[in-house]
Amino acid sequence: MLGSSVSRIDGPLKVTGAATYGADFAPDGLVYGYVLTSTVGNATIRAMDVSAAESAPGVLAVYTPFAPLKLLAAAGPLGRMWLPLRDMEVGHHGQIIGLVVASTFEQARDAAMTVHVDYDVRPAVTSLVDAMPDAVIPPVTDGEPSVLTFLAEGVSSIEDALAASSHCVSATYSTPVQGHAAMEPHSTVARWDHGTMIVHTGTQGVDVVAADLAVTLGLDPSQVRVITPFVGGAFGGKVFTSAQTYLTAAAARELDRPVKVVLSREQTFSSTWVRSGTVQKVSLGADSDGTLNALAHDTWAARSALVELPGGEPSAHRTSRSWYASRNIAISHRLATLNMPPNAIMRGPGEATGSFALEVAMDELAVMLDMDPIELRMKNYATVYPGRNVPWSSKHLDECYSVGAERFGWHRRNPSPGATLDGDWYVGMGMATAVHPNFRSTTSAKITLRPDNMAEVSCSTGDLGTGMWTVLAMIGADSLELPLDRIEPHLGDSALPSAPLLGGSRGTANVTSAVHAAAIEIKRKLIDLAATHPLSPLRESPNIRYANGCLECGSQSLDFGALLRMVGSDGLDVVTSTGPGSEAQDYAFCTFGAQFCEVRVNRWTGEPRVSRLLSVIDAGQIINTKTARSQIVGGMIWGVSAALHEGLHLEPTGRLANGNLAEYLVPINADIKEAEVHFLTYPDHTHNPVGARGIGEVGIVGVAAAITNAIYNATSKRIRTLPITIESLL
Amino acid sequence: MASSDPAPGGGIGTASDEIRIAVRVNGETRDLTIDPRVTLLDALRERLGLTGTKKGCDRGQCGACTVHVDGRPTLSCLTLAGAVRGEVTTVEGITPSDGLDPVQQAFIDCDGFQCGFCTSGQVMSAVALVRRGEARTDDEIREFMSGNICRCAAYPNIVAAIRQAQEGGV
Amino acid sequence: MRAFSLTAVPSVEDAVQRSRPGSAYLAGATTLVDLMKLEVLHPNDVVDINALPLRGITVSADGVRIGALERMSDVAAHPHIAAQYPVIAQALLRSASQQIRTMASIGGNLLQRTRCGYYRDVTTPCNKREPGSGCPALAGGNRMHAVLGTSKSCVATHASDLAVALIALDVSLRLYSDAGTRTVRLADFYLLPGETPDLEHDLRPGELITEVLVPPLDWASRSVYLKIRDRESYEFALCSAAVALDVRDGVIADARIALGGVGTVPWRMRAVEAALRGARAGEAAFVAAAEQAADGMKLLSDNGFKATLATRTIVRALLSLEV
Repeated sequence: MLGSSVSRIDGPLKVTGAATYGADFAPDGLVYGYVLTSTVGNATIRAMDVSAAESAPGVLAVYTPFAPLKLLAAAGPLGRMWLPLRDMEVGHHGQIIGLVVASTFEQARDAAMTVHVDYDVRPAVTSLVDAMPDAVIPPVTDGEPSVLTFLAEGVSSIEDALAASSHCVSATYSTPVQGHAAMEPHSTVARWDHGTMIVHTGTQGVDVVAADLAVTLGLDPSQVRVITPFVGGAFGGKVFTSAQTYLTAAAARELDRPVKVVLSREQTFSSTWVRSGTVQKVSLGADSDGTLNALAHDTWAARSALVELPGGEPSAHRTSRSWYASRNIAISHRLATLNMPPNAIMRGPGEATGSFALEVAMDELAVMLDMDPIELRMKNYATVYPGRNVPWSSKHLDECYSVGAERFGWHRRNPSPGATLDGDWYVGMGMATAVHPNFRSTTSAKITLRPDNMAEVSCSTGDLGTGMWTVLAMIGADSLELPLDRIEPHLGDSALPSAPLLGGSRGTANVTSAVHAAAIEIKRKLIDLAATHPLSPLRESPNIRYANGCLECGSQSLDFGALLRMVGSDGLDVVTSTGPGSEAQDYAFCTFGAQFCEVRVNRWTGEPRVSRLLSVIDAGQIINTKTARSQIVGGMIWGVSAALHEGLHLEPTGRLANGNLAEYLVPINADIKEAEVHFLTYPDHTHNPVGARGIGEVGIVGVAAAITNAIYNATSKRIRTLPITIESLL
Repeated sequence: MASSDPAPGGGIGTASDEIRIAVRVNGETRDLTIDPRVTLLDALRERLGLTGTKKGCDRGQCGACTVHVDGRPTLSCLTLAGAVRGEVTTVEGITPSDGLDPVQQAFIDCDGFQCGFCTSGQVMSAVALVRRGEARTDDEIREFMSGNICRCAAYPNIVAAIRQAQEGGV
Repeated sequence: MRAFSLTAVPSVEDAVQRSRPGSAYLAGATTLVDLMKLEVLHPNDVVDINALPLRGITVSADGVRIGALERMSDVAAHPHIAAQYPVIAQALLRSASQQIRTMASIGGNLLQRTRCGYYRDVTTPCNKREPGSGCPALAGGNRMHAVLGTSKSCVATHASDLAVALIALDVSLRLYSDAGTRTVRLADFYLLPGETPDLEHDLRPGELITEVLVPPLDWASRSVYLKIRDRESYEFALCSAAVALDVRDGVIADARIALGGVGTVPWRMRAVEAALRGARAGEAAFVAAAEQAADGMKLLSDNGFKATLATRTIVRALLSLEV
């Protein structure tokens, strides 16, 4: 079962439109909210004229900082969140500063347009480059000190190590602010049902939303339930509870009416979360044989003036910290404060940006050394985690390189840049390394065996498009030795046993491990029931064993449904929790990949296009090869997007110049030609009993660098700023 | 063909006079009394309970709201409900009562989606493509399907699904 | 979106009669409804003209007459247009998405509004939307903006691909109002922004485009529309070229060239055409002639590359027509 290719069990619901996303819920008596957003980047609100809105047809309420909904400032599971309408301060353009509720969507939307706001405007700070001198070193970056140095014995500084290297490259790289742009805009439907708050919202953690709402609304956790069976894409943009969710729930309680709020597409860009831009300085010092002597990587990112969140795109910490066995490593991370939307995590947070700098620098070093880029990476292959001196639980990156080179036809690459022309198109190949860490988190799962011979597998996790519905069924089927159609999965409900937030590619490995453990427990419990229940035909039999859904003893066999019916049970269940063990101290855990691409650049008009992509991925045990492949392909296309398309432009006022789907470019179908994936399959039982590692993020990690390197190979133009657009290639 | 004069402008916050419309949706005539501001998309989702059609941008920039009007792929977000003539078919209406359209089955077989939010629109475009016997090459399929953004980026699988449906001889 | 009345009319006469200040005609809806939601346009009365008999594509010795309500995709698929005017078919097929092409009328296409982000955002100044309020694009954020035909008031790019092809082909529009019918060359129809960027075209209040008149041009069968953009489809042009070439015995007898994505109106490149005439077809002549395209361009902070891109786009389009 594990590793096979199974079509999504939720597929029929999705292709017929029957899958219910947050905004598809329509409780009786539903009314509609529309959020008001600031039109300046840094200000204090002086006054808001809501008279026209309040008297507009159908309007039920207008909430503003002057007439707020009550939200209690308290820390939820991810810390203290920014809450809307609590004061008059505006920290970024697009900040939510009000909510209009009306009988229809049109009434709410159009009344919201009539609200006039007076601000005391202050100059906005929107340029990371300009703000770099004021950047601060945060106390912690990615769980470690923000400035980290590992020097070989006798080396006094990274500068000395660089100076002592025979070959040195040093350059500055930059990446833009990005938006997640999931197809499902952020939305919330909330219903206050006799003291219980029922909420439907696209989220990466129903438990997080439930806990956040409980503390901010002053409710007992048992009074909040979040039910979201389908999420229309998230990518990190739905990790944190969004401002509109607090407002929607509070308004539903205040009005005692179900309320629906769906952000406009523009608001999903300006009023939720973004990925910070980065500026990164990388210096590599090497011996003439390519051995890295020094690796220095200093990064600057931004945090929003509105809210302090951990993260902030730890580019060096997630890449140069551990990717190569350099004798000397020095990294640092600094944060500047900008009037921009709050930065949350976004697919490959730190890795996607950091690898662009590190892996392009490695390519530059390979060019300087006249060395094959793969050979350079193999020369510096890390077998122990720098500074911790522990090995990885399972690392086959070397095989990723060699298998990838073979499958991609790397030997056909012309090492001379700008020398390959196919018609009017320059052609080039590039590659890069991809690494993403893995995290074990405490996870609970429930298995219920039913008298009708069905098994329920339940967990509060979600399906963001990752295929979790199917994974849950598959791991249930595998560990209970049942066919897939005898498993009934349940997820996306905060009333179910608690799963970790779906972030950091941690969903599959953690959830499958919990189900695996629960299956062991439920089998034990079932055998115990068969052996002890007075009505069991196997009572007091020795050596009862469980196989394929049946209890077997000698020549006797009884399926679990029959046993449950005989003993008059309406179901047997267990809830089991699993989490990290002592292995966490002894090993590092990462998913690895080698990523390859071929680009074409028109010799007249300069547009870069990607013609081929390949990832070879070492992610332990793959659960569902079909959906895992799709996820890696999706990640790679995100890499194409980062390399050639995406960039949110913050104007000096803080306004997003292109916060919409016509101007914030992501690839469309015609942009993507061949995209191939190959999995190495070395189950990682050191990491968890199922042997699986995460795959949600690794697919994006190396692609932007691979494309940049391929563009160099095609055109001999070395680009160090993303996205790479026509003007730099003309 | 909008020859519009921006001044003096419509009423701010005043009620539009509601209009009565009869719109054919999935083979049934549905009578609605609506504000002229209501788009076909919002009529389907908020008035007729047909939530399969999705609002991804509300601006004609993503394709998630694609339905058919007389078999022609149409963005329901840019269509005023009160101006609809012809037969509207949504993803619910394209689905046979006894199973799936070959295009829907091919999307499942080829894993032509991940989160599924854009899928209704993708399926509606793909069904139009297959039924009209248009795009035959992969590049033609890609171009035809480029009005349906998929942020999960299931594009290669969508092309494979359309290939499968075409070869099935629908 | 502000409140409005919605009325369908059965005839051209009814439409014009129904029109009054503050009303708007509704055809394919792809521009009007979009801009009404953004409150950039806020008509009191929306007059649905889709039932008007402005359909049909008629081919005669005088050229092709295209009813203004014909949809973009239907015009592109018309066999005569595809064969005799590939530049028109290609310009249509490289516009927007198949859904929008299916919905949008060609009359509406020619009247579509600029995609300038300030025009589309009512919280920002814009001289085109609100005369006298200012133009933020002059100071920055102008990568997509125009370099030809600009003024101190407005640098917004004309968005239509079709119009670029039609300008190259010397197309005229048939217009109807209660004053009667008239015919206007498309090249004269579009107005430069000057001091009045809110006035975009020579359409009188209530006047309707009824037909697009494409004159005969037998060598237009060798024509192309090349559109350069950041992604492969579903995007407006950074630069585009509508090019037709008449080559006889290796010598260029005549050429038609217009550019999109660079002008405040679709821009005919007569100097390039003149430089091509009489030259021997080939890369050297194409490159030399295309240099003329950059003359008179006023480059902004973020769109300086359009000078080079425009000349290269012309060369590439010409090369694609060389047999």
